[in-house]
Amino acid sequence: MGWRHLFRRADRVAESAEELQFYLDAETEDNIARGMPPEEARTAARRKLGNPALIREDVYRMNSLGFLETAWQDIRYSLRTMRKSPLFTLTAVFTLALGIGGNAAVFSMIRTILLKPLDYSNADRLVQFMSDDPKQSGRDNTFTQRQFDEMKTEMHSFSGLGVYLDLPENMTLSGNGEPKAIQGARVSANFLHILGVRPLMGRSFVPDEEKPGGPAVVMISADLWKTRFSGNPKVIEKAITLNSTRYTIIGVLPEGFSFPFTQMDVWVTKPSEWSALPSRYWYITSWLIGFGRLRPGTTIEQASAELNLASHRYAMAHSDRNEIESMRLVWLKDRLVTNVRPTLWILFGVVGFVMLIACANVTGLLLARASSRSREFAVRTALGAPRARLIRQLLVESVVLSLISGLLGLMLAKWALSSMAQISALNLPGVGDIQLDGVVVEFTIALSAITGVLFGLFPSFRVSRPNLADELRESGATAGRSASARPRVIAVSTRGLLVVGQVALSIILLIGAGLLMKSFARLQDVDPGLQPANLLTAKIALSPVRYDTGEKRLAFISEATQRVNSIPGVRDSAIAMSLPTTRWLRTNIQIEKQPWEVDPEKWPVVQIQSVTPGYFRTLEIPIERGREFTERDNSFGAPAVVIINESFARRFWPAYPLGPDPVGQHMREGADRTGWMEIVGIVANVHEGSLAMDPLPEFYIPCVIHPPQTAYLAVRTGGDPHGYINAVRKQVQTIDRDEPLSDIKTMDEVLDATLGQRRLTMLLLGSFAGMALLLAVIGLYGVIAYSVSQRTQELGIRRALGAQQGDILRLVMSQALGLTLAGIVIGITGAFALTRVMRNLLFQVSATDPATFVGIAFLFLLVALVASYVPARRAAQIDPMAALRIG
Amino acid sequence: MAKRKTAEGDMLQGTLDMLILQTLVLGPAHGHSIAHAIEQRSEDILQVEHGSLYPALYRLEDRGWIAAFWGTSENNRKAKYYRLTHAGRKQLATEASRWERLVSGISRIMRPAAE
Repeated sequence: MGWRHLFRRADRVAESAEELQFYLDAETEDNIARGMPPEEARTAARRKLGNPALIREDVYRMNSLGFLETAWQDIRYSLRTMRKSPLFTLTAVFTLALGIGGNAAVFSMIRTILLKPLDYSNADRLVQFMSDDPKQSGRDNTFTQRQFDEMKTEMHSFSGLGVYLDLPENMTLSGNGEPKAIQGARVSANFLHILGVRPLMGRSFVPDEEKPGGPAVVMISADLWKTRFSGNPKVIEKAITLNSTRYTIIGVLPEGFSFPFTQMDVWVTKPSEWSALPSRYWYITSWLIGFGRLRPGTTIEQASAELNLASHRYAMAHSDRNEIESMRLVWLKDRLVTNVRPTLWILFGVVGFVMLIACANVTGLLLARASSRSREFAVRTALGAPRARLIRQLLVESVVLSLISGLLGLMLAKWALSSMAQISALNLPGVGDIQLDGVVVEFTIALSAITGVLFGLFPSFRVSRPNLADELRESGATAGRSASARPRVIAVSTRGLLVVGQVALSIILLIGAGLLMKSFARLQDVDPGLQPANLLTAKIALSPVRYDTGEKRLAFISEATQRVNSIPGVRDSAIAMSLPTTRWLRTNIQIEKQPWEVDPEKWPVVQIQSVTPGYFRTLEIPIERGREFTERDNSFGAPAVVIINESFARRFWPAYPLGPDPVGQHMREGADRTGWMEIVGIVANVHEGSLAMDPLPEFYIPCVIHPPQTAYLAVRTGGDPHGYINAVRKQVQTIDRDEPLSDIKTMDEVLDATLGQRRLTMLLLGSFAGMALLLAVIGLYGVIAYSVSQRTQELGIRRALGAQQGDILRLVMSQALGLTLAGIVIGITGAFALTRVMRNLLFQVSATDPATFVGIAFLFLLVALVASYVPARRAAQIDPMAALRIG
Repeated sequence: MAKRKTAEGDMLQGTLDMLILQTLVLGPAHGHSIAHAIEQRSEDILQVEHGSLYPALYRLEDRGWIAAFWGTSENNRKAKYYRLTHAGRKQLATEASRWERLVSGISRIMRPAAE
């Protein structure tokens, strides 16, 4: 009939009422005229017209928009029924919102981090070298420049091959305003060519510029260009000072360019010349990562095989190492997220599980509600509602429910993501960009609509076929007893199955979370080898120009520790080349009186650490044997001495602590060839890399041998280290105001940062698993409580026939126990199959850790017993007389 | 909407529409007198189902074949009158010719075949 009538409908209804009244009056008058008595005349007129209500309804329907109209009715009806049962609605909406919100949040993360393509031309041909060693799977394979150059000549699958330095380099930008700490990347000259990116302005590097001694040129980010040079187009050829070295700007990179790391400010070439390292290490240490563009028509497998061959050849020719590292290529896009990829997919699976549990829960709720509404549907059917209409009504109800939950879920996801962005420890590429974009919103709405249809369809088909006579005859309380009870018994067992499924899924999640928690606890129990409490740390990047000699650096370092020591409350301080978990440096060594190769490159590789004498005292690293460094050791001309760690001692004196004493022996460093140094002490192991890595053989030398360019300060304070930050900063600045402290953190924070991602994964998985547990328990409770209410009469009869309260309690609890046990068995089987996917996330815990499996099963059993005790208790307290009377 | 479709296919329904239109050729009338007119002029052979009269009137009005206005009845009461519109006249012609064809077709079948 059209919209117009829809809005005018009220008028028309009133009009027709008036018209019909007129008809009745006119007909009555006619009848009176024919000689009928007035009463009879009116009745006859009524009879002739028929039911005015039906006529009006006909007219009303004519003025309706059919489907739309009734859909709107259904929606309003749904909202009304939802308002009438707020507890059900709240439970269902929040259950679903949690599930949907979790999915939306994790989907946003996956979409931003894993699915968005790289912004490079033909980015699908870009690959990166990766170690294939299962022990360090997911870690990049690093090379020396020499190794890379030699291997490069044997590889032909690439249209371009380049390297970049494995770490972002901290630099100080000075001149043209306040000195500023910035981040730089070291890349081979051809990096833009390989990536297929053109500079926004200026040009890219040329090959000469990457050679040692080549001109110092730099490319800057669009951001830096705008903030520091106010977007001046004449920035090209301008000079800037980085770490006190003058560089010429040759180009500006496009907005958002983030290779090889995020938030780079400048790019320089000469990839090996990392200013944090003493220059003699530059070309002999492995810090470079290879990447390249595959030639058209070459598969990644072919190129991988070629790479492996080249790597083997190189190893045969040069290395003493018996194990040759196997390598493979990974797509560049994948590698940027290698470490988070499995975590994210696991999380996605986890929220999927939670979603399933939530759906099962809401389906259970809807089933229960549908059963209790069966009378309502019977009445509606009796009044002429077609079955399709009833199904649609129920579908609309569930879709409305899930859409509301979807909206709420979106809000939850938005909130979750914004709080996640605060967690810097996540350290994901583009974590700041994660947001709910249109696709995610569409995903969420589609998810909730599909969910609504799925869990709405099931109950609606069941209840839309009511047995009219029975339903209408019986009262709601006793329905479920007579012949018509058959479908409902099935309903209970359907709900039972749903509960079993929920229990199984949450068992899997709980076990997963349990394994992660156990790993985390193990990791936190790892003795870092030092005392992190009350230890303040900071970084000083000494300018390679102004502190170009070891003497200058040593002078600064000695004065810094002295000045910091003079601060009241400071107990000790030390400076080292690196701090545990920040970074580490390796070198080749040779032990006196042990067999050795002629080529120093074939000597064993161990970690080297350059420290001031107070280092072990300050970090409280126990001395196992011998002595620590003295001030005399740390002065020029003193006999060279080293201190080794326990791993070092065990590696080269396998009988340690028995057998020959390493103290008093001599060793020398391959790169330096300074001569023999005496081992004067042995200290406990320190986890240099990260807590999850085993401590490697390591030796310490006094600062005087290698005064570090970038140094780390450690201060042992009397109280809360944060209170000392200003004093320490001030003391260091009095030496040289252009050498600011950066990365000021407590050692606890430093160690904690290495746990950040694990903690986040654990927290996420833990909370999802907790949610799952809660939902499953609610589901279980619901089913038991419902079945108790349905069996009131039966239980009453049992009581009347002599069953004790305890018998009833046992009867009901055994039903709950049956469901739970079935779920636990399925869940544990599933967990056996599934937890292996998270093996890489675990630390010193087997993916099928029996203690976790059993513990979780018992935990669940306990919770399930508590949850079913409440309804069971109610069942046991049923008054037999009252229960029988209802019938 | 579904309702209307079956109504259109319903021959009786269509017939009632035609009869209403035909009645209104003589001049505007209200629902009651339309029903009476049909009954009287068919010499009570056709009994108008009054229950369907009003929905039919609204339907015709919606299609623009008749127009309604409020007037005063013979005994001075407010009543809703219907009159034929131009479109209604055209529709009546169409319906009438369709009806003729229908009737002649049916009668050819019902008449005993002269073979």
